[in-house]
Amino acid sequence: MAEQAASLRFIDATERGLTRLRAVHPLAPWLVAFLLLAPLPWVLLNTYHVFLANFICVMILLSVGLNIVKGFCGQVTVGHVGLYAIGAYTAAVMSVNFGMTFWMSLPIAVMVTLLAGAVVGIPSFRLEGAYLALVTLGLGESVRIFISATEYLGATNGFSGIPAPRIGDFRFDTYQKYYYLVMPVMLLGVFFSFRILRSRLGRGFMAVREDPVAAAAAGVNVRGHKMIAFLISAGYAGFAGALYAHMIPGYLNPRNFTVIEMVTLLLMVVLGGLGHIWGGVIGAIIVTIVYDITKDYYHYSLLLFGSVIVLTVLFMPKGIGGIIDRFIATRRFIAIREGRATRPGSDDAA
Amino acid sequence: MLLRTENLSKHFGGLRAVDGIDFELEEGEVRGLIGPNGSGKSTFFNLVSGIYRPDEGSRIRIGGQDTTHFEPHRIAALGVARTFQLLRVFSEMTVLENLLVGHHLHVAYGPVAAVLGTRRMRNEERRVREEMMELLAFIGLADFAAMLASELSVGQRRLLALGRAMAMRPRLLMLDEPAAGLSPVNVDNLLRIIVGLKERYGLTVIIVEHILRVVMDTCEKVTVLDHGQKIAEGTPDEVKTDHAVIEAYLGREMEDDEVRRVLQG
Ligand SMILES: Nc1ncnc2c1ncn2[C@@H]1O[C@H](COP(=O)(O)OP(=O)(O)OP(=O)(O)O)[C@@H](O)[C@H]1O
Ligand SMILES: [Mg+2]
Repeated sequence: MAEQAASLRFIDATERGLTRLRAVHPLAPWLVAFLLLAPLPWVLLNTYHVFLANFICVMILLSVGLNIVKGFCGQVTVGHVGLYAIGAYTAAVMSVNFGMTFWMSLPIAVMVTLLAGAVVGIPSFRLEGAYLALVTLGLGESVRIFISATEYLGATNGFSGIPAPRIGDFRFDTYQKYYYLVMPVMLLGVFFSFRILRSRLGRGFMAVREDPVAAAAAGVNVRGHKMIAFLISAGYAGFAGALYAHMIPGYLNPRNFTVIEMVTLLLMVVLGGLGHIWGGVIGAIIVTIVYDITKDYYHYSLLLFGSVIVLTVLFMPKGIGGIIDRFIATRRFIAIREGRATRPGSDDAA
Repeated sequence: MLLRTENLSKHFGGLRAVDGIDFELEEGEVRGLIGPNGSGKSTFFNLVSGIYRPDEGSRIRIGGQDTTHFEPHRIAALGVARTFQLLRVFSEMTVLENLLVGHHLHVAYGPVAAVLGTRRMRNEERRVREEMMELLAFIGLADFAAMLASELSVGQRRLLALGRAMAMRPRLLMLDEPAAGLSPVNVDNLLRIIVGLKERYGLTVIIVEHILRVVMDTCEKVTVLDHGQKIAEGTPDEVKTDHAVIEAYLGREMEDDEVRRVLQG
């Protein structure tokens, strides 16, 4: 069919383009991605959409991190939003109460979140599946409850007055400007995850997910890998939290870190594709946009997103990432059968 | 002495799954480990490879080191590889990735190099992929390298499990029923592969097997377990005629005709 031929041509062209770019320099595709994303604030029609673009970048960081520990390392952690809150509030306190600049509050927020990540990681040494989910859910919720009850953190009134980051006299005090802070960090985060997951460490994560006993017998330090996965994902949450805190209006509220946010975040990873290298990115983009469109029905979103998670797990366990993979594989297969293309492996040889 | 256990024991509740086994294995040996169902063979493997914690008073030494309380990955690092009776391949990873995980301890670069994409890391990654492809060719799975392990047939998964253990470049290879469920032709293939591996890499091997022909043909020495205890040890011929062994197998009306045939014949 003409349509199939066209999609295959598109897939092949994209792949050839990528291969050529990588031949120029391994980082070239990332530079191209940056250049493609850079004009976005000028393309989007209104400021609200630019805000959304910023927020999507933050969510990508968060869900890419979660996908590492959950999708790749197989640790069912639910309270990830708690780490995000810790990152955000640490950055807020450091800059408002201790007068630090963003460039100091960010690394401190990341370090504190790493510590918290280690605390979440320890139960994973002993617990699995639903039990680990319960413990992490409890830890995540207790962060929110602690914040809601602590006057120093603004309690339920929220924490305001977090300054915009600045370099010299330049302040990232509009969404347009902030985009050029958060987008590069997001790209770096995605880049980092690709490199890690396609390495020895990433294979170790997957082996722990597939079968910890067999992984250990193959020489994989199972606890070590679990801990590293928790730490990496916590690092992402720390970055995401600090970037969210310093984004205008510089205001945090415990209401932004509830069970609804937990479910939304889970949905991102599940829908995007648990253990798919693009899973966190795809999921964060789609879910954030859908969430925004349906925000008038906020009170139903738990129900809506919860049921989408269940349906996704039941009917497309590998998420959208998996469906795209299969789409490409099927197109190739049809093409090979009709003698119109070579086997996928043969590109590499050429 | 590559492996030595002293008074190795493991109980589950009141059941003594492994009961005071003294076991010695010389470098380069191919040893058979047989015994009726539930006699403790797999438990013995799980103890040696660190997956189960031995009872008080047990001792395990591997290559002169006391490994009684080692975690599994540290025992693997001493060059001990094993297969599992229930295979435990990494289903949602590709065939090649399964071997790469097996080779984990020999992949020499860290996460920082991975993130920076250093030349060394890329060369190392190319090297290990090439080596693992060679190993896949050796066990006859090269055409399936990019397939998920879950898409393989049971027999192919058995080969993959063996390949993953070989990818560890072990000194000691412990095979838990490597031929179970294979057709006779494939059993012969497997035997050839095991013998080939042994010659090629100078391995020491322990094979647990119910298909006694496998054990009798490949092993110089056989150890027999029953109720968690060692009841006999010797050459295949000695063991075949040992009274305690015949009783252990035949005394309980084994259904496996082959057992009866081999032991009596
Ligand atoms: N994790 C465990 N928990 C409780 N009991 C166990 C456990 N592992 C093994 N056992 C018991 O220990 C005994 C020995 O089991 P093991 O698997 O070592 O036997 P085996 O010789 O490998 O038998 P088979 O030939 O059937 O594989 C059995 O009675 C089994 O039920
Ligand atoms: Mg067994």
